[in-house]
Amino acid sequence: MKKNITIIDYGAGNLISVQNAIEFLGYKSIISNDPKIILNSEFLILPGVGSFYKSMQKLNKLKITDAIKKNISQNGGKILGICLGMQLLASLGTEDKKINGIGLIKGKVIKLEKITKKILPHIGFNLIKTDYEGGLFAGLNQNKFFYFVHSYFLKIEKKENFKFSYCNYGGNFISSFESEKVFGTQFHPEKSQKNGLQILKNFIN
Amino acid sequence: MIKKRLIFTLLFDSGKFVLSRNFSLQHVGDLDWLLRNYDFKNIASHIDELIILNIREKNKNFEKFCSILKKLSKEIFIPISAGGGIISEEKVNKILRSGADKIVCNSIIRKNKGMLKRISKIIGKQSIIGSLDLKLIDNNFFVFDNNSLSSEQSLDDFLKDLDTDLFGELYLNSVDRDGTGQGYMIEMVQKFKKLNNFPIIIAGGAGNWRHLLSGLKNKDINAVSTANLLNFIGDGFKQARIELTKRFDLPKW
Repeated sequence: MKKNITIIDYGAGNLISVQNAIEFLGYKSIISNDPKIILNSEFLILPGVGSFYKSMQKLNKLKITDAIKKNISQNGGKILGICLGMQLLASLGTEDKKINGIGLIKGKVIKLEKITKKILPHIGFNLIKTDYEGGLFAGLNQNKFFYFVHSYFLKIEKKENFKFSYCNYGGNFISSFESEKVFGTQFHPEKSQKNGLQILKNFIN
Repeated sequence: MIKKRLIFTLLFDSGKFVLSRNFSLQHVGDLDWLLRNYDFKNIASHIDELIILNIREKNKNFEKFCSILKKLSKEIFIPISAGGGIISEEKVNKILRSGADKIVCNSIIRKNKGMLKRISKIIGKQSIIGSLDLKLIDNNFFVFDNNSLSSEQSLDDFLKDLDTDLFGELYLNSVDRDGTGQGYMIEMVQKFKKLNNFPIIIAGGAGNWRHLLSGLKNKDINAVSTANLLNFIGDGFKQARIELTKRFDLPKW
């Protein structure tokens, strides 16, 4: 089946790994920073590694922020944010300096050291827990191990229509969220073996 | 809780994957050989991370190395680290664009800290593995230099001005055990205890799953690696994973 999938390129992150994973699942995707393409894509993936502040500045400058918002609110598109990409979907980032995020989920991004005494960044495979079945986790069993690399986490102000999964690293934090149109994973599905491939498959289907 | 990892390290030299024994190299096979003898599509079910090292960069095979990296990363969805001869930001970018998530640095962590600082600032310390080859001489560990094949700096001296803010993990390889299959030189890790739980990968000497298990069980070791291209051939990793999983809590798929 043909799907219109765009991986958003704003100069940060492992775009090729994400594209390889999508291709492995049998779908074609394009890598783009063109607001027009982003506005009209059925599925958007926002990857990312790096700084919240710099990434947001870049997304604003490239007019990608508006294109994403408009696509989700008017054109019926869906978005998946991965790692920093998930955090960028929040309303506020506090990394470096304060800056507004894309604002598709109400919450702010803060340092992991506020909730854990463990060594940072949090790197490696860790187990996550959900209190729901299906959605992004359809077809997965209880061994929900995923690959994490991060020093910040997302703190939600209002749960609204979102469902969450949680991970523990000295303290609990949100490892993923999903609503009808807006999805985010703090972990890297493209680096989490068959569990991760299943998450990407569930997002696209 | 974060899980410990089983890592497969591939050593690459002049178009071939090699077996190293006490740092002398034996060419084993090319990419076709690797794909024929290891079920790469499924290998990620049995290992948690892949490291690929271009061990003789002076042979100027960087382009070939990147193209191999690109091919391997197309079908393996676990973290991939790559390194060997990383001496410029440009090479870092090329390696990351070829499908690696992290880079492995060896000589620049000792000889070019300015470069390491610049790279760390661009890609973040979590994306850098510092690699050290250690040799035991008269009961003291020395840092082995791959280019000069000599060990001039003692590990104690090295640790005195080690800046752990510049990388996220350390990969410790024993020159004495390298490729021997006699088991890890676990004693190496003692010296790193003062780094306060800094993530340590141990390498050099694993010949079977019992050796891997001995590394995993050590509380100061975060990941175990083997670069032994022949001891885990065929379904070797699958079998090793089965035995390890019975005795140790690794990530389950």
